Amino acid sequence: MSRAELISQRAAGGRLIGLLLVAAPVFLVVALILWPVALAVFDTLTVEGPSGPRFSLDAYRFFFSDEFSLRNLWMTIQVATICTVLLLLLCLPIALYLRFSASRLTGYIQALALFPLFVPSILLAYALIRTLGPNGSVDILLNAVGLPKLPSPYLTPWGPIIGLVWDNLPLTLLIVLAGLSNVSRASIDAARDAGANRFQVLAYIILPRIRGTLLVAASFVILGLFSAFTLPYLLGPAVPEMMGPFMRRTIIEVDDPIQARTQAVVTFLICAIFALFYVRSVARTRREQST
Amino acid sequence: MSLSGHARASRPGLRLAGALPDWAGIVIAILLSAFILLPLVNVAIWAFTEVWRYPAVIPQKFGFRFWSDVLGRGDVHLAMTTSLSLAAIVTALSAVICLPASYAFARLDFPGRNLFFMSFLTVYAFPKFGLYITIATIFIGLGLIGSFWGVVLIQLVSTLMFMVWIPVSAFQNVDRRQEEAARDAGASPLRVFWSITLPQVLPAVSAAVLLTFVNTFYETEVAWLIGAPEVRTVPLLMIRFINSELVVQYGAVLSLMLWVPSFLLLILARRFLGAQALGRALGA
Repeated sequence: MSRAELISQRAAGGRLIGLLLVAAPVFLVVALILWPVALAVFDTLTVEGPSGPRFSLDAYRFFFSDEFSLRNLWMTIQVATICTVLLLLLCLPIALYLRFSASRLTGYIQALALFPLFVPSILLAYALIRTLGPNGSVDILLNAVGLPKLPSPYLTPWGPIIGLVWDNLPLTLLIVLAGLSNVSRASIDAARDAGANRFQVLAYIILPRIRGTLLVAASFVILGLFSAFTLPYLLGPAVPEMMGPFMRRTIIEVDDPIQARTQAVVTFLICAIFALFYVRSVARTRREQST
Repeated sequence: MSLSGHARASRPGLRLAGALPDWAGIVIAILLSAFILLPLVNVAIWAFTEVWRYPAVIPQKFGFRFWSDVLGRGDVHLAMTTSLSLAAIVTALSAVICLPASYAFARLDFPGRNLFFMSFLTVYAFPKFGLYITIATIFIGLGLIGSFWGVVLIQLVSTLMFMVWIPVSAFQNVDRRQEEAARDAGASPLRVFWSITLPQVLPAVSAAVLLTFVNTFYETEVAWLIGAPEVRTVPLLMIRFINSELVVQYGAVLSLMLWVPSFLLLILARRFLGAQALGRALGA
């Protein structure tokens, strides 16, 4: 056998082995992501007729005419919007500071801001109840300095908002930081030399360059918010509730799988555009890394 | 310390900092400390408290009484065993399925390689909980609700990202020339893999295994949706403590017990990967 034949045979063998090695995880993706989603879309768009399934929008018509479902969806949208705005407002100054300051405090601040990565959300829920709940440590501290109690955010929409901001802070910050690393110090120095003040530098030099990053960060947060379950379930109000707890109740307690899947597909559709931005950015980082 | 501080301060482009105190940094550090640390410190204090009546700032009586109570509870033991075996099984299965695939993506050429690789991104493309709901409806039909293996199966999906994507870059960065040199010197392929390839990818693979284990251990949503009430993991026990336990300290002790190992494991994972790569692995 010639050397060329040997090489081509080995390459063919490598191809088969390659396909075999990736078969199991790819099968999992197909069986446990693509198939359930496709089936949910199909089943919610059809009803069983005498001659097999036929197209029908009944499930969605119900969802969008049911006041209860709409209130839950609306609350999720509101909480997602508030969390996104709060997270960006919180992360931008921290990221700017971490990127452009040479102070020794940067190490401490970065460690602190990444800390929530190490705290599982179930433990966070417990800690926040003890802190923000009635007679929690915030009440104790306010009382100790002679201030009146604040209304507790526990079991109001502000409970999950505070929890989700806490939980999403590190990854949002890392996304913003990665974007800021593309803003060169030289361009900022040049603008300062030309007489620009801090806000002008921010508005005309920094923000235009990280617009894409901010969009990706917002997409990441919104995707997370629509799938949040633990924090809204444990910290939020029972009525109206966010989509996560609502879907669980619909499938487990109300025992209505079709409506639960309709709710799921509605969250997919609302998040589709954000998912596109986010996934595109993950894929791009991935390609840059491997080249 | 002062020397390195001085060296950093004299870097070009730092005219804004000047000799003024770093007010921005101080304000950020104080506010962030309060926001991040207050809930955690609070739980840590509760765990060592025997009596703490409102509105005292400091508990009336400290002690370890509730530690022995928690450690002696049957439901805590059961939940620990369930969670540990769940995390161990999912991590082992995930490693067996994903690490070879990760090697294949990094080193072999086969049709559809890029498409299959990018297919894992669908894990990120849907809000997770909605995805679990669509899986759950299928599992109801298959009788997998309330089953340990149903939980294992779904949790495997959320580990794919760690176990396939993190090791891929490590496998890609292995020094090919060393491998070829070893082959030329007469080493068998297996020996080359064991002595040359494996040591170079070990940090990334360890990080992936640690992340998978920790994330599976604390995973609450799948366990609560698919596993409850038969599968009782530690996070589900925590939900019960939150919803219906009057003794505050049980939850606090359990939190602290659970939190310390996860903290150590993740610090290790961070050492192997670095903050940015860890963030990327988790989806940032």
